Amino acid sequence: MAEVNKLNGFLEKRFPKIALVVGIVGICGAIILGREDSTQFFYSYLVSYLFFLTISLGALFFVIIQHLTRAGWSVGLRRIPEHLMANLPLMAVLFIPILLGLHDLYHWSDTVEVLHDALLSKKAPFLNVPFFIVRAVLYFGSWIWLSRFFFKNSTDQDKSGDKGLTLSMQKVSAVAILVYALTQTFSAIDWIMSLTPHWFSTMIGVYIFAGGILAAVCTISLVALMLRQFGYLKETITVEHYHDLGKLIFGFVIFWAYIAFSQYFLIWYANIPEETEWYIHHITGNWNTFAIFVIVFHFVVPFFLFASRHAKRNLKVHAGVVLLLIVMHFLELYWVVMPNFSHHGIHVSTLDFLCFFGLFGIYASVLFFRMGKYALYPIKDPRLKESQDFINH
Amino acid sequence: MAISVIGEFKDPTELLRAAKKTNKAGYKTFDAHSPFPIHGMDDAMDLKGSVLGWIVLCGGLTGCVAGFGLQAWVATEAYPLVISGKPLFSYQAFVPVTFEVTVLFAAFAAVFGMFGLNKLPQLYNRLFKHRDFSKKAASHGFFVSIASELDSDEASIVDFLKSIGATNVSGVKE
Repeated sequence: MAEVNKLNGFLEKRFPKIALVVGIVGICGAIILGREDSTQFFYSYLVSYLFFLTISLGALFFVIIQHLTRAGWSVGLRRIPEHLMANLPLMAVLFIPILLGLHDLYHWSDTVEVLHDALLSKKAPFLNVPFFIVRAVLYFGSWIWLSRFFFKNSTDQDKSGDKGLTLSMQKVSAVAILVYALTQTFSAIDWIMSLTPHWFSTMIGVYIFAGGILAAVCTISLVALMLRQFGYLKETITVEHYHDLGKLIFGFVIFWAYIAFSQYFLIWYANIPEETEWYIHHITGNWNTFAIFVIVFHFVVPFFLFASRHAKRNLKVHAGVVLLLIVMHFLELYWVVMPNFSHHGIHVSTLDFLCFFGLFGIYASVLFFRMGKYALYPIKDPRLKESQDFINH
Repeated sequence: MAISVIGEFKDPTELLRAAKKTNKAGYKTFDAHSPFPIHGMDDAMDLKGSVLGWIVLCGGLTGCVAGFGLQAWVATEAYPLVISGKPLFSYQAFVPVTFEVTVLFAAFAAVFGMFGLNKLPQLYNRLFKHRDFSKKAASHGFFVSIASELDSDEASIVDFLKSIGATNVSGVKE
């Protein structure tokens, strides 16, 4: 193989710096403007934060599942989700502003209000600030431990070629998937469901997971296509791999729709005020139009486009669909979070953009800075050849 | 009258090579027979993509419309019953059944479409007249068969199959 396995030139040197500047400008702008309206700032920040967090978490899940199933096809592209999940320590640092904005975001954190609220006082043993922080530490602790473990073993193998590392990753993946399922579910309950603390949905964890894993696979595909555009990984990640990523994306598009509908359907059927309250807020005013838009472009359009084998294998169409789905993932989270703040309809704020580009810049900068330091694919993985030779029949 | 000439090959690799050569020699009505699927055979025989996917899509869309339509008609026209105070046309409630009927029709379209494209069920095929073919083709034999409308082609096809390494070559008539 004459494949280049190191980033160089623009993507290694200039891109991380440019992204960092974009990030710092975005965040500083958001902080300056946000002083006028701290609640808007924290809500905008939360949406963008969740967008990048769910992508990193989805990537962690992707890596775990590859080891758990002893997958051969994905070895050549595995370094990309490994880099995405290695941003989880960064996401832990970026969580600090949310802790600072607890009172703006989560009204259960107001102890006086809780005293006058029968439901919230019943929930207080779980929904209180100290325990919330303990749980957050627990989630990030597990995620950082898992992502470091898989990243370190995989990159160590680049040097030593030790096959035992593959086996130890396979062993840990079984425990990892359990830890992941619990922490991911409870983090969705803590950070998203408790925005409306009277409301409850037993499906919120898997709902956020479904959107996250879909966006993560799309991001893997998009980063691979971007590297391909710059001439990297052309022989290691072939049309066959994009085809398979496309199948996963198609599957998760359906999975997301299935979960999103199931959550809505059960609440609609039962018609209990504590539950329907949430959906009523989310379809008030033009939020309803927004919801329909999400259904059409997060499910209907990509479903029909990616049902076709030719669309999955045509890299231009493929790039278009994954880009659409990534944008839709952001808009979906916007729809999940924002109606709790803008009750009467969509209210687009400059802070939404500043927070997004701020976090995007920092996230992309760290991602590509790290990418430049390691091989672009697991060069000594025992199943690398199997992956490179892989063909869809 | 039509004839088919059958030649046997010793393993999947030989069969793959033979299919490639037969296709290259310009024969249009030929088939390769193996007890199990062989990777790369579609390319070797230069087969076009199947239209089955489009048949399944049509089946699925038909099911989708039929399932939704049936429920909408039943709920609003045929037996209008108020259920838990919801409107008669509660499209949300129709979704699960619509989904199931879509899947059912798509699956039927896939199975019966496959039967149709493979011209099944077929009670008789002249290839079975070849003694070794009917004995081995489903267990351990690898064959190429070339069909022709003209009986006079038999000798040239026999020569061709022998030239690409076939053994046990013989023609069968209708």
